[in-house]
Amino acid sequence: MPNKSNTKKGQSTLAKRKALFPWLVPLASLRLTLTLLSLSMVLIFIATLEQVEIGIRGAQAKYFESLFGIWHYPIQFWGGEYLNSIPIPIPGGWLLGGLLIMNLTAAYITRFQWTMKKFGIQLIHLGIIMLLVGQLVTQAIQEESRMQINKGESSNYIERFHGVELALIDVTDPKQETVVSIPQELLEEGGLISSEDLPFRVSVKSFGSNCDFDVVSSKDKRVGVSKEVDQGVGFSANLSIKPKSEDYSSEAMNFGYLVFELTDATGSLGTWLTLSHPAGNHWWKESPKLAELAFQPIRHKGKLWGLTLRSKREYLPYSIELLGIENEFYQGTETPFNFESDVMINMDGNEGRRALVYMNTPLRHEGKTFYQYQMNKAADYTVFQVIRNPSWLVPYIACIIVSIGLLWQFGFHLVRFLRKNSLQKA
Amino acid sequence: MIHSSMIPAKAQLVCGTILILVSLSSCSDEPVVKKSVIAPEYTGPVVAWVLPENWGENPALAGPMAGSFHVMTKEGPKGRIGVMPFRESVSSLEVANMFAREIGYGLLDEENLVPLLEKKMIGAREFEWIRLEEQRQTQAQKTVLLALYRKDSQTWLFPFIGEKTLIDEELENFSRFLEYTVLRAGSKPIKALSSPVSSSPPPAQLPPGPPPPDWTIPSHWTPGQASSMRLASHKISDEEGNELDFSVTTFPGDVGGLLANVNRWLGQIGLEPTDEEGLKQYVSPIKIDGMAAQLVEASSSDKTFYAAILMRNNSSWFFKLTGEKTLALKEKENFSEFLDSVCFHKP
Repeated sequence: MPNKSNTKKGQSTLAKRKALFPWLVPLASLRLTLTLLSLSMVLIFIATLEQVEIGIRGAQAKYFESLFGIWHYPIQFWGGEYLNSIPIPIPGGWLLGGLLIMNLTAAYITRFQWTMKKFGIQLIHLGIIMLLVGQLVTQAIQEESRMQINKGESSNYIERFHGVELALIDVTDPKQETVVSIPQELLEEGGLISSEDLPFRVSVKSFGSNCDFDVVSSKDKRVGVSKEVDQGVGFSANLSIKPKSEDYSSEAMNFGYLVFELTDATGSLGTWLTLSHPAGNHWWKESPKLAELAFQPIRHKGKLWGLTLRSKREYLPYSIELLGIENEFYQGTETPFNFESDVMINMDGNEGRRALVYMNTPLRHEGKTFYQYQMNKAADYTVFQVIRNPSWLVPYIACIIVSIGLLWQFGFHLVRFLRKNSLQKA
Repeated sequence: MIHSSMIPAKAQLVCGTILILVSLSSCSDEPVVKKSVIAPEYTGPVVAWVLPENWGENPALAGPMAGSFHVMTKEGPKGRIGVMPFRESVSSLEVANMFAREIGYGLLDEENLVPLLEKKMIGAREFEWIRLEEQRQTQAQKTVLLALYRKDSQTWLFPFIGEKTLIDEELENFSRFLEYTVLRAGSKPIKALSSPVSSSPPPAQLPPGPPPPDWTIPSHWTPGQASSMRLASHKISDEEGNELDFSVTTFPGDVGGLLANVNRWLGQIGLEPTDEEGLKQYVSPIKIDGMAAQLVEASSSDKTFYAAILMRNNSSWFFKLTGEKTLALKEKENFSEFLDSVCFHKP
């Protein structure tokens, strides 16, 4: 039971902490907390408005995964014709989240009394800090990918939902393939890209995350950057492309494009065009004219290389084999109530682990979580959504801490109230 | 030593805030070129080579060629070297007959082939080596050197065609090329017959080979440029300078099938490739020497081709007339008469 001496002790340690960290005192302001919370509400409101125009992913990237975003007052709102042209900076999720963490931490150090009476409140705030930090870490490092497996086959890689890479694959050795991948960020920077793992240099002529493409009847009818192409399927099929801006909507079909020249010590080897298919480059094989977009061959110094612009790929140290799939429907309807994939994880040293993946029951393996995402029973394949989130446990721990804090605080006051009541009755 | 109390509180606050925000916004990985070594995934055929310094690559590949090269000399490019994978059965005799007519041989049979064929080890590879010398008296004596490599169910043909002196000079380069060229079939097997001159001795008396087919060429068609691929080659022209090219070629197997061949020809006259459904508008059934064949007709704005395809004894025969549209229309009847005249001398 706290008494006056405890309170005094708490106040004196608080004074000591304030003296030790004087620069944290303004950061611990309650006004700052309220301002940040208010700005968070403004941010959510504006991002919700913007989501209509630029989609969930666009709004998330522009407003929540940034320090600030520039917003234009909607033209259809009152006075929009005058106000729309004014760029309004909006504090982003990382800025507000970061400041909230600092504000709470500063309050923890310079404002809260570290006494048993306030222990519950300290726990609640600690839980909230953990939630905020966990969310920031998740935003920064979480990766979402997909893995498609045909029944009876296995896969040892996952592909990102967003972002592409130029893969140059040496397939000459029958025992292994060497894959050299250039990520989208470097392709966006442009210029000359070289690597000690490549026998040639890649000079980026044009790169974009979306385009319209067409097979035209002659070379002269190709437009823009595609005119320069003199090698590969872009040349043989007379592919013409028109760059366009990326579509952020959930139904988006963004075809990334890359026009690049390869050079070696002897000079230019030619200019190629490659396109990425939003549903995976294996879909190019369905089109006889464009099948080579999945693998454009180049022979160089006795080796056969293949080129392809594809979804960013991550190879895994294990493979997952699809043994069987099952989907069940509500009786008399075509509404599914369960998708189920029976898989075997094949690891090094002939180790295996069998698992059943179905709705709300993901497979967790080596830091990755495989959720049942899509399934096609007719075509016999399954698609997993694969999440890598090292901080996935943090929200659970934070909620437990907040719950303990609330129980402590309410319990403490209840006990005090009951004791006071019994004393009064006595 | 600097103590924290020596730095003003506001400066500490600003620096601390900036540091935390910067560290938060730079959590993601730095983009770099990555290398991964993985188990083989590519299922297509692998053919790769290192060319001798004095060889050049021909950009346009004809028919089933996987690669085509020439020798660079002071007088310009000379000779023709190729890499040809076979997806269907092919014997040494069939291969030899593909080239023999060009340099004056009649149709070879097993007996004729024996003295022309030898086995040769180059590096770790064993080749069937067929050397055909020009049979006619010409200024530049031509030689056809055929190297056949069989591995499991795959067959690869390397033809080297050129003047005798050129082939003799380039023999070392050709051997090195054969030794180091990477050859690997894809998941679709390339099938071939076992060698007719393998470990088992030939039968005591081989049945005589079939005589070559006959046909009647219209009198106004003039002989055109011959090549190893062409059993007949003629030109047709009119007073306005319009020209047509006529050829008869044969290859083992189906050379990719009807659709692939039609699409290749459509591309040659500037038309879009078609699919199985669209094929019907170009193809109609005909008979050649009483055997079922297909006639393919297509026209673009200025060009036309007529082609007849016949599959006989696991070989494809192509009879093709192509060129200027109006002249082709005039010659269509002559082409039909030519097809009617083809005779394979069936037993």
